[in-house]
Amino acid sequence: MLNSVQRAWRSVVRKPVKSLLLFLTAAVISLFLLSGMAAGQANVLSQDTARQAVGAGFRLDNNEKNRSRRYSEISERIGADTEGSLEGVHQKKMETAYGTQWIGWADNSFETLKLPDIEALAAVEGISDYNITTCVTTVRPVGFKRIEDPDLDQHQDLGCVTLLGNRKMEFDSNVLSGNVTLKEGRMTGPEDRDVCVISEELAAENGLALGDELSFGDRHDESGSAVQRAEIIGIYRTKQPMAAYMSGDTFRSENVIFTDLRFPEKAEGAEGDPCFEHAYFQVADVDRYEEVRAAMEQVEIDWERYDFIDRNGDLSTMSSNFNDLEKISGLFVAVTLLAGFLILSLIFLFWIRNRSRESGILLSLGVGKGSILGQLFLEAVLISSLAFLLSLPAAPGVSKLAADYLVAGQQKQAELQKAADADKVADGGRTESEQTVTGVKIAITGEMAGICGAGILLLTGGSVGVAGLFLLRKKPARILSELS
Amino acid sequence: MILEARDVSYRYKSQKDRPVLEHMDAAFSCGKLYAVLGPSGSGKTTFLSLLAGLDVPTEGEILYDGEPVMAKGLREHRKRHISLVFQSYNLIDYLTVTENVRLGGKKEPGKLLEGIGIGPEFWKRNVLQLSGGQQQRVAIARALASEAKVLLADEPTGNLDEATAFEVTAILKQIAHEEGKCVIVVTHSRELAGEADEIIRIGPAPLS
Ligand SMILES: Nc1ncnc2c1ncn2[C@@H]1O[C@H](COP(=O)(O)OP(=O)(O)OP(=O)(O)O)[C@@H](O)[C@H]1O
Ligand SMILES: [Mg+2]
Repeated sequence: MLNSVQRAWRSVVRKPVKSLLLFLTAAVISLFLLSGMAAGQANVLSQDTARQAVGAGFRLDNNEKNRSRRYSEISERIGADTEGSLEGVHQKKMETAYGTQWIGWADNSFETLKLPDIEALAAVEGISDYNITTCVTTVRPVGFKRIEDPDLDQHQDLGCVTLLGNRKMEFDSNVLSGNVTLKEGRMTGPEDRDVCVISEELAAENGLALGDELSFGDRHDESGSAVQRAEIIGIYRTKQPMAAYMSGDTFRSENVIFTDLRFPEKAEGAEGDPCFEHAYFQVADVDRYEEVRAAMEQVEIDWERYDFIDRNGDLSTMSSNFNDLEKISGLFVAVTLLAGFLILSLIFLFWIRNRSRESGILLSLGVGKGSILGQLFLEAVLISSLAFLLSLPAAPGVSKLAADYLVAGQQKQAELQKAADADKVADGGRTESEQTVTGVKIAITGEMAGICGAGILLLTGGSVGVAGLFLLRKKPARILSELS
Repeated sequence: MILEARDVSYRYKSQKDRPVLEHMDAAFSCGKLYAVLGPSGSGKTTFLSLLAGLDVPTEGEILYDGEPVMAKGLREHRKRHISLVFQSYNLIDYLTVTENVRLGGKKEPGKLLEGIGIGPEFWKRNVLQLSGGQQQRVAIARALASEAKVLLADEPTGNLDEATAFEVTAILKQIAHEEGKCVIVVTHSRELAGEADEIIRIGPAPLS
């Protein structure tokens, strides 16, 4: 008596044609699953010429999408309509003339690049030096006049000047680009405390010279008593006005004051709670640029938080930060699983119908329904495992195609959204940088293959089970009339 | 007496008012060839299904060795007591001749096949490359491979030409007389009926 394993093996090997449909279906499902999973963890390579690192270096910024996602996650954890603070995010109720309003904001501890991450990257071999630049910090000028446009309505403006702290000012992007040069004195360095470098226009307007001190007030402090002082150690000039961070005289080029790294936080009344916006890493040997990049990308930090930008403005965005790519690919996997389940169930139903004579013979010989179903399951597993294994070598190519397609779709979606948003009022006058997608980097990991294999096995088992319900309903009583 | 139908009635669920079999009694012994005769639609196949334990009578019972077959279960009855031969396509097409015979039971397939005139040159063949008569013989060999004492066949010669049908009939008779099995054959063939030791007639179906 042949058992179900022996029967299954012979059935698959000797009648391969009937297995073809299942084989192809399983292979397609497997490829789709792998592609979906790979796209969900892909790196989207894009170019952002507005944000390229200057010279032979790399630049590290916060990833905007990741930032807003983290913000809403934390806000959710605090709870809707709940006052509270968590990990640098704050929510507060305000009674205004218009009724109750909720305001939420994030402080420096939330916005800043993480110092340990920067230091880990700076420690990579081949990096000769690094810089950190603070967020644009607005403070009240105390005892000196800023440069103003006489034609401008200053009611909309904060009436502040802009502080820009640097660990090493010579690596500030404005300096590296050659736009900002020293007229007098020196630039700030890592050892400096409470020093600043001002524009020649500001120096002329206020009659300031090296060695003088400037005072700054926290703009949130209404009493005006909290004042920080910094010594002028340099005066700079620009070839062209620096691009304004936002509109208004607070941000105009002449009112930008470079300071040492930790001064801006002090001036805005948040000492010990810095806000670092960019980091810059200088590559010692330009010829080893790519090598250094690879080494830096190996550093284990939470890359999802960051944009890592090279001198060409090339950066790779993890799919979780690229529009809805991660969600879309998750959906893709889910749809594949569902459709796969339906199609496989139909295929097995078809099998069972086509083989009713065979199962009738077996039943009449006293073979149990379990054994017949087991045989069917084994055949299905044999074929779909083979399909899965053979799909593996094709998976990288197909995944690449699928990912390119999904990314292109997401890109188009984002452009449509942007066009639709263009009519609306711009967000605080802040311009978002322009990214062009240049490619997708995709990898099929062993983990993905494992999940896919298990998925195929489950799908096969499940759909054989469903089809098997119809076999189990089959009454032996019909066999003789069916077979005669 | 090995197999007995006692006061058996049968109605298909979809046609409750029209019984296919009504109060049938029949008894079968080893060593004999029985022919079940009756017009088309009279319930011969239905009767065989009941004997084979593929279905249960609406009323009455089937006994094997004096014991109701329901007692040990129908699957047990099919597996141990009964072997079946259908009108055609009895064989599983992805198994060889020998493997098909081996499905029937533990007995050595070679001897059984030789015994009914299927030589070794056919043993490894795909069963679809056999003629209809050869296929029926293989099906009979499979039935013989088990220890079952009862062989049931539903029109085993229905698809065969006269000469081949005659050969198959001879084999069935030989199985009954020389191997001592109880062979019950549903047939329309006068020749086969003529060879039978006993004939069971199933009356014409009552017209509704
Ligand atoms: N599944 C079924 N449901 C309802 N009625 C059925 C079913 N199978 C058979 N019948 C009816 O039961 C009666 C007996 O059928 P059965 O197949 O036993 O006849 P038979 O004597 O074997 O006929 P034949 O010589 O043509 O094979 C017929 O009238 C048939 O229409
Ligand atoms: Mg019939």
